[in-house]
Parts: sequence; structure tokens; C-alpha cells
Amino acid sequence: MVNKVLGLTAADQASLLRIAILGLISLVAIGSRLYSVIRFESVIHEFDPWFNYRTTRYLVNNGFDKFWNWFDETAWYPLGRVVGGTLYPGIMVTSATIYNALHLINIPVDIRNVCVFLAPAFSALTAIATYHLGKEVKNATAGLLAAAFIGVAPGYISRSVAGSYDNEGIAIFLLVFTFFLWLRSVRLGSALYGALTAISYFYMVSAWGGYVFIINLIPLHVFALLAMGRFSNRLYVAYSTFYVIGTLASMQIPFVGFQPTFTSEHMAALGTFGLIQLVAFASFARTLVPENHFRILLRGAVVSLFVVGLGGLVLLTMSGVIAPWTGRFYSLWDTGYAKIHIPIIASVSEHQPTAWPNFFFDLNMLIWLLPAGIYFSFRELNDNHVFLILYSIFAAYFASVMVRLILTLTPIVCVLAGVAMAHVFETYLNFRDVPSATQTKAKAVPAVVASTDEAQRPTDSASGDILVEDADSASGHKKDGKRGKGAKKNAAKAVESTSDTSADGAAPSSAQPSTPASKELSPAHKRFYAIFPKFVVMTCFMFLLCMFQWHCSWITSTAYSSPSVVLSSRAPDGSHLIIDDFREAYYWLRKNTKPEAKVLSWWDYGYQLAGMADRTTLVDNNTWNNTHIATVGKIMASDEDTAYELARRHDVDYVLVVFGAMLGYSGDDINKFLWMVRIAQGVYPDDIKEEEFYNRQGQYAISDDASPAMKNSLMHKLSYYRFADVMGGQGFDRVRKQKLPTSVTLDNFEEAYTTENWMVRIYKVKDLDNFGRSHHAASKF
Amino acid sequence: MRVGGLSGLLLCVWAVTVSGSGLVNTNVIRTVDLQKLPFVHEQVGVVVQNDHPSKVFKTYTISIPLDKAPKLSQVTVHERKSGDALAVSKEGVFQDTQQYRVALRRGLQPGEKLSLNIDLLFVSLVEPQPKAVAQSDDQSWLWDDRARVASLYPTRKQKTVVKTRGDVLRFTKENAAKDARTVVFGPFTDDAEGRVQVAIRDNGEQMEAVTHRREYFVSHWADDLNVLEHYALRNLGPELSGGFDKVDQMVSKYMRRRDNLVKTLLVKVPEDARSMYFVDEIGNVSTSAVTGRRRPKGEGEPFKILQLKPRFPLPGGWNYTWWHGYSVPLHRYLKISDGRHLLRLPFIGSLAACASQEGELTVAMANAQNTAVRAYKLRVTLPEGARDISVQLPVAGEPLLVPTKYYFDSVGRTVVVITHANVAPELASRHILVSYSYAPLALWLKPAVVAAALFALFMLASVASRMQYGLTPKRPAAKSKAAKKQSGKAE
Repeated sequence: MVNKVLGLTAADQASLLRIAILGLISLVAIGSRLYSVIRFESVIHEFDPWFNYRTTRYLVNNGFDKFWNWFDETAWYPLGRVVGGTLYPGIMVTSATIYNALHLINIPVDIRNVCVFLAPAFSALTAIATYHLGKEVKNATAGLLAAAFIGVAPGYISRSVAGSYDNEGIAIFLLVFTFFLWLRSVRLGSALYGALTAISYFYMVSAWGGYVFIINLIPLHVFALLAMGRFSNRLYVAYSTFYVIGTLASMQIPFVGFQPTFTSEHMAALGTFGLIQLVAFASFARTLVPENHFRILLRGAVVSLFVVGLGGLVLLTMSGVIAPWTGRFYSLWDTGYAKIHIPIIASVSEHQPTAWPNFFFDLNMLIWLLPAGIYFSFRELNDNHVFLILYSIFAAYFASVMVRLILTLTPIVCVLAGVAMAHVFETYLNFRDVPSATQTKAKAVPAVVASTDEAQRPTDSASGDILVEDADSASGHKKDGKRGKGAKKNAAKAVESTSDTSADGAAPSSAQPSTPASKELSPAHKRFYAIFPKFVVMTCFMFLLCMFQWHCSWITSTAYSSPSVVLSSRAPDGSHLIIDDFREAYYWLRKNTKPEAKVLSWWDYGYQLAGMADRTTLVDNNTWNNTHIATVGKIMASDEDTAYELARRHDVDYVLVVFGAMLGYSGDDINKFLWMVRIAQGVYPDDIKEEEFYNRQGQYAISDDASPAMKNSLMHKLSYYRFADVMGGQGFDRVRKQKLPTSVTLDNFEEAYTTENWMVRIYKVKDLDNFGRSHHAASKF
Repeated sequence: MRVGGLSGLLLCVWAVTVSGSGLVNTNVIRTVDLQKLPFVHEQVGVVVQNDHPSKVFKTYTISIPLDKAPKLSQVTVHERKSGDALAVSKEGVFQDTQQYRVALRRGLQPGEKLSLNIDLLFVSLVEPQPKAVAQSDDQSWLWDDRARVASLYPTRKQKTVVKTRGDVLRFTKENAAKDARTVVFGPFTDDAEGRVQVAIRDNGEQMEAVTHRREYFVSHWADDLNVLEHYALRNLGPELSGGFDKVDQMVSKYMRRRDNLVKTLLVKVPEDARSMYFVDEIGNVSTSAVTGRRRPKGEGEPFKILQLKPRFPLPGGWNYTWWHGYSVPLHRYLKISDGRHLLRLPFIGSLAACASQEGELTVAMANAQNTAVRAYKLRVTLPEGARDISVQLPVAGEPLLVPTKYYFDSVGRTVVVITHANVAPELASRHILVSYSYAPLALWLKPAVVAAALFALFMLASVASRMQYGLTPKRPAAKSKAAKKQSGKAE
């Protein structure tokens, strides 16, 4: 070979380019997730990450044994929480391992920084795993495109910015990686890859409840292949290995335990495992029995087995041996289910059905490349493509039911968009059919380079052209394989010409005009008609790709990079204002209350209170005990005396409310109050009634014309206590756009602290007075 | 503790023999200075006479009651006539008093008299009275002490003078006189019992750093001295009665009316300090500012004032913990001579609390000495490769040398750790000297280690990528390709 650059052969150049491009994609993936660190600081975001961060700290400080057996008496007071048995430990163990490894080589990083940067680091790994998945289903071009897409797709960034230290941060990598290993094990029929899939699956089980998606999708894939008559020994080896090892491994996680043996979510996998054994036996039997006998045998066996199996399943479910589907899963089928039966699920905004614009918001052009990708998968339907189609259909359904599940849709959208885009590139960047290669190439290739802002794309596609051969011959695409060596040469030339256009003049013209129909046109015209459409299409796609990148950066920067613990706004003069009331309040609690103090607040702030204030809470974001949450809701919704009695009975020392009327922060407790009322009503229907909280006009009012129940409720009093004094008589609630209530009295609670912008108000529960009366009773007396 | 018990017993025997003999305080005048709260300066002038017929005394013993002893910052004794300082050593506890022994310059002959000036510095000695007031009420404090200066020796005559900064609200009337901001108790004879009290109104801020840690990191590579100051601070003032009052706080701020909330903490930093930060246990605190260059009045180097606003204002009884830091060029603190590196570092920094509502903060506010450091720890982290370390301290005590490992360290480095209790304010202008030898090659140790590690990593990757993992070779083509690759690399 003479086409050596830097002493490397074309194949080596391609692999070098691939590594370089993947490296750049990783850098872009990490870099675009750092907005929040640059704008704010290296801080843990939102709510759940605070729990993960706290448990990680505990793991690092106390070791694995103590972590595993940790009973946290500061949560869910007075019930406590068995932490080790009620969480997915994957993310904590990952962080602790990284932390310990770094300390081992004398890099004493802070555990907080490990936690903050874990998700961005794993997003780079996700990009690499997606590359391999794309390469597995099509070729390296598709893989690189898919990797570039997932690196910046907002649908994934929304859960993996720096500081968003949540299970999803590592789980998406594991999801993609497990699927990649699965597809490879199916293609190769390798028990080794089957076992690797199981190990990756085990990691996934340890990291996220979304593992259920894998354990249903893989059996579905197997089942679909069986139904399509695509049973093979490769499939049998892959699935049997995966299921046996994966299931046994997953049962080692205490939170999962024996669920794979008795809950409905896992029954599909078990059933498919049984089925594939039968099919394997049948195909074995087929080799021994004559064809016509076998058919009768098969029909009878299938029908009877189906009846027995289904009957058994129904019977077991009815008798309670197999646990029924949980509420969260019902809400996946019926979007109205949660609102009626489980208000606590419905009260969370990320559990709402997805609005259409969300798809475009989170996936931009990928969302319309998805059907194209599905179409291409159908066109060359192999085992892998069946999987892609199933994955995309199911994930698309779930994503439309629940906003947060756009997350599981994103990887497949990226892969299929990569496949579609790779087809576009292969078609429109293919200049082999163009007459007179010498001149056209000199025109076309630089033109493409010029039409894009990122030099990465054309080289990417050009190298992809070469890689078609490697990947395709491996995955058995005979159709493409025909193009064989000639294509390889051409592609190598394309690479050369992109990197060294000056050599073009000297290049020999190998291709001659071959089609007889082109006789009427002059060679220049022919070249024009061959090049022009390609040029136009590629320009359009380059433009779209640039817009996509632009869109992703913009969405990431504006929508997904706010820590929500710290807020920012603009002062009238345009300067940057940091609003840090939450931490102000939490730090006040941490430093100025006794360490065993119990703080009552709505459950949203439970994890943050535990993490930042380090105080005992009654309820938190774990929401496992609806009654306890309803009790807190009842305290907030009751009148002062009832609330005082209940609070004292629960040993509450401080009550914390979030109040946005000063700043216009709409996520405050008064706006959440109706959910508190609804949840309380679900458990205490005699004491709390939602309709009592609307005024006579049926409005949710807070001002003087609010309903008596509203005005007397503890939440209302704690929020508006003395607020009118500072806002004056014409005071205005900036969230509700209503006048302020003028006379708010408070006897049994004492203002302990109010933050700078009044966003968090903390009250102390007073002791009984000297006569053992509540202060409210005393003041009446 | 057996040793302690034994020495206590010995001391007891010794003390009994001493008190049974003939040293007598013929006249004692105690001046209590309450003008620099929370520091209380007691100056005790004693005239000692040897009444023993024959014995010569070479030591004099100072007694500090045990309730005051933990708040004692320092004891110094001078001979009044010559002005010479005398050596003081800490002894055991006897009759609820902590004993300090003063070694006299020469033996006190029978019948001879000697005048001694004893300077005692206490921190956080006065307490708020009443214990709780409303947010913008005046703060008042109570000085409460024994009428008689504790001593092992009989005292013939004594007097106590209390000087205050704020108005005197009330005082123990018995045998006392008040003159503007001075109260005089006595004279008393030896049999005077009971206590004397002075209540004052004083709105000055009084803070206490329950713990304070100052850390220096020395980096020869970056010519950088990194300073970190960690504080756990408490306001000593009266607590809030009736809870925090947000409305009052906002109104006070608007009206520029004084209240008891400490809002700003002022730290003097060198003028070339850079990369400053202000952090607490849960992250950045975004409210801080730094002034331009300021020149001190007398001698001293120019400085900047770092204004730290805590997350929440601090009324009496509230705590705040944080740390801040900055970098300064190392060469200003490091001298190299004869292969020895000599570091001269400030022993402790300054911190002034400020309750003022004014937007403009003055140098006087930053110079206010209103923060007492109760438990102080100083750490100097030397660079990797520093050997033969010797330390010179401005206070008594022995430095600890602790080995540690930091970023990319291979052999590790040494941290010099010094602890000190109840820091006296004048230590802010004193220095600690650390000298060590440092081989020129030691500077290249770290890059070499990192380079070696990276090289090993790439080697490993290179070998791993050339391995054949399958049990059977895949395709002859692939094999030859791989072989070719390897030979190509080998060239």
C-alpha cells in the first residue's frame, strides 16, 4: 500500500481517527455537562442526589459492612429506615471504589467531587458503549454518529449533568452496555458474552430500578425471534447463559432479593426461559422424528403448554404466590390510575405524561430520524434489528406515558438516528458513481468540508466508509460485502483527499463514464448532475447537525444546568444574583439547633434536610410510608391547636416551610399545599377535606377571603406570619397574585429563623407553658 | 493519673510548708481592664515581704481559681523596679486554685520586700446579663469575681480597680466607689469574703472561635503559599428572647438602626493575596467581597480586607463554621541560604466581627480585636522532599511532625502541627520560623513519578491491544495484519 500518512496504513489511520473522534466525543459529553459547575459550583443538585451523596459519605467513612447494615434512625422518625436493604447500592459503591482507588495512588480528592463528576464521567463511557452498540447493529459510522448524538442529547443530559448524582447517571451507561453485550452474544452465540451480559446486568440491577426494563426487553426480543421462527443455537446459548447467571446475580441485591422468583415484572423472563428450553428440545426432537409426526406433536404441545402456563400464572397470581404489578407499573398502562389511587405518585411532576413538545425539546432532530432508523432496520431485518425495533417501540410508549422515561428512550433514538444518518452519509458521500473522479472529487470534498463548522463530521463519515467493510463482513451483510475491495480503495482515497487535497491533480483517473445513457450530456453537465444533489442534501444535513448541536447546548445551558439548591436571577441592572436561601436555612439548622432536633417539613425537603442540615426528619423523598406522609400533611392542614398536639406527639422541635411570595418562587409549599391536603385526606378522610380549602367562589385563595380552613391551617399561618408587616398594607403575594392576609396570629410556634428572601421559614415548636397548657389556650384564657 | 496524683501530693506538702512560713503580701492592687472585651486584662501589683526569721525564698506562687483558669490566656511577671521579666512555670492544683510558680531573680532575704507586676490575660470572662434580650436591645455584661485576690499568702491590704468601656449600670455597693467608667473596690483586708460585681452596658461585638485552624501549604513548583483558615465561631452576646425577628431585622437594616446581629466578618489578608474563596460545610458562600489596598497607620505591610458575610447573621449564642483561603507568592515568605530553606510565617491571622449596618467598612472595624480564639491549631504542610526540619515558635510548646501524603506524592511529606489555647491578640504580629533542607532534585520527583505512571499505563494499553484473546486464531488475514502492525511499530 502506498497511501501511507504518518507511516500508517489506511486501517491504522481509520482506527486512530476512530479513537480520536471517540475521545473528542467523550470530551464534548463531559464538557457540556459542566455548565452548572462553572456557573455555580461543584455542588450536589436537587433532592434524591442528596440522599445518594449522604449514603456515599457514610459508605466511605464507615466501610461496606456498616453501610450494608445501616439502620438510619434519623429518617422517618420515629420509624427509622433500613438503608442498606432499601436502596440500589450501585452508585454508592462505584463512587466509593473510585474514591478509594484515587486515594490509594495518593490523589486525595474530596468524595463530594467524585460524586459531582461521576455522571459526566459515565456519560463519556455511555458514548463509547453507544459507539459499540451502533457498530454492532450497523457499522462504525453509525456507531460514531450515535455516540456523538448521545454525548449531547438533552434527554440524557437532563439526568447526568455534573452534580446530578443519581442512579440514572450510571444506569444509562449500564443499560446501553448490557444491550450491546446482549446483541453481541446473540450474534456470536458466545457463552462468554452471555455471561458478560449477565454481569453487566447485575451491575445494572445494583444501580437502578429501571433494570426491570432490561429483564423484560431481552426476553421480549427472544420471544419475538422465536415467534419469527429465528430460533438458533446462538440465541439459545446467549439467553440461557444470561438468564441463569443474571437472575442468580440479581438476587444478591437485598432490595431485589427473591423478587425475580415471584413478582409479575420478572415472570416474562422466566416464561421465556422455559419456552426457549422447549423450543430447543423441539428442534432437537425434530432431528429425530419425521416431519409430519413432528408437526402434530408440536401443535399439541404448544397449545397445551400455553393453556397450562397461562392458567398456572393466573392461578398463582390470584392465590398471591406471584405478587401483582405494583402501582407504579399500573400507572404505566393507565395514565389516570395514579391520580385516583396514588396521589403521592401523581404529585411528582416527572411522573406526568409527556407533552409533545418535550420530545423535540429533549431529542431535537433525532426524533424524526427515529422512524427513518426503524425503516432501515426493517429493510435489513436481522436478529439485532429486531431488537432495535422492539426497544424503540416500547421505549417510545413508556416515554410518552411518563416524562422521566424519555431517558430510556434516548439511547435507542440515538442509535437509530445514527443508523439513519449513516445511510444518508453512505449514499450522499459516495462519489464512486461520479464520472471523472479527478475533477469532481477536487470540487466536492472540499465543498463538504467547507459546508460544516465541525471538521469532525466529514472525516468521521469518510473513515466510516472504510469501516463499512470491517463491520459488515463481520456481521454477515453479504449485500454490502460485494462492493469489496474497490470500495476500500476508493474510500482510502477519499481519506487521502480530505487530508491532502493538493495530491488530487496528480491522482490517476481510474473511473470512466460507463453509463451509455449519459452520452447526450457533456461531461461537465454529467458531473454537475451527479454532484449537485449530493451537495445540496449534505449541506442540509450538515446544517441540521449544527442546529442539533446548537439546540443541545442551549437546552443544557438553560434548562438542565440549575442545581435547584441554589437559584440565580438577574438584578435590575443585569448583574448576576445568587439566591441561596435553602442552604442558608439548612446551614442554620445544622449549626444552631441541637443535634438530635427533629425537623418537620413536607417530604420534598427530607433528603436535603438530612444531607445539609444533618437533622432528623419525619418524612423524606423515599415516600415508602404513605400514612406517615399523610400525617405530616394533616399537621400542615390542621388548625394550630390540632397541629401543635400532633407535632408534640411526634417530638417535633422545628417546622420548616418554603415560601415564595417574596421572590415569586412558584415551587413553594402553598402551591404544593393542595397535594398535602389530598394525601392527608386519603388517610384521614374524616379530618381533612379538600373542598374546605377552596373559598366560597371555589377558588384557591390565600388572602382575607380565603376559606376558614385555609386561614386556620398551620401551613397558611407559618407562611404568612408577619409577612404583611414588612410588605405594608398594599402587600402582594408575587406567586399567587393575590392580596396578603392581614391578621395572621401564631401562638404555639415561634419564629426561629427566616432566610434572606423569606424563602425558607423555620419555626420552633414552643414547650407547654408553666400550667401545662398550649400557648394558644393560654392566650385565649 | 498516678503521676499527677503524686505530684499533687508533693505540691500539697510543699504548699503547706510554704503557707505556714513567712511570705506576706503587704499590699495588692488589682486593675481589671474591661475595655477590650472579650479580652480581660488583670494587672496585679504585689508587694511581697519575707516575714520569716531566717528562711530565704527563691520562688513566689500565683494562684488562679479553677473557674477562671481555663480562660487564662497568658501569665507574665515583671519585677517592678528593674522591669525584668521573670520565668513562670505551671504547677498543679491546690485548694481549687491552679498554681504558677515564679522564679525570683535572687532569694528574698528575711525582712526584705519585693514589688512584682503580674499580668494576667483572660478571654471570654464576662457573661451577658440578662442572658437573653430582644434583637435590637442593648447588650449588658456582668463582671463577677472574688473580692479578694486568691493567694497562698496572707494579704494585709488590697484594692481592686475595674475600668470599663461602656456605661456602668450597677455594681456591688459595699466598700466601693465609682468614678465615671472606673469602679474601685476596697481596700480589703485578708478576711474579706464574698464577690464583687460590675454590670456594664457594652454593645461591642464579642466573639469566640471555639476552634480555629490555620493551614499553610508550601508549593515550590508554583511559587505558592496557600493559606487556609478554618473557624468555628460563636457569638458570646446575649441570646434572642422571643426568637428571631425577621421583620425587625429588615426594618433595622432599612433604617440603619443598630441591632445585635453580627453581619460581616473582616479578615485582613496580604495585599498580593489571590484566588480567595469562602466555603462552609455545604458549599460556597457567595456573599463576600474584598477591598482595595489599605495601609496600616504605623509600621507593617499593606493589606486588603476580605469581607465575609456568613450565610445567616449571628445574634448572641449562634454559631457559624466556615473556612476561607487564599494564595500568596511563596518567595515573600521563603529565604534560601546555604541550602537551608527558611520560612517565616505569621503565627495567626486576624478576624474581626462587625455588627454595623453601614455599607462602608473601615480599617478600624477590621482592626477591632473582638474575637477570642479558644483552641488554636496551626499546620504547615512542607513540600515533598523537605528534610531536617526545625521549628521556632513564639509561644511555649513543642511542634509535632506528622508524615502525610498529598496529590501525586510518592515518598510523602511532613506537616508541622502546633496547638495552642486561648490565643492572646498580640500573637497576630508574631511569626513562626520553619527551616528545612531541600535537595534541588526533589523538585523533579513529582513529574518523574507522574511520567513513569503514564508511561506504564500506555505500555500496558499497548501490550493489551496486541494480545490475542481467542482460543483459536480468527482469520489468517487478521493475524497477518496484526503481525504486520507489530513489525511496523517495531521499526
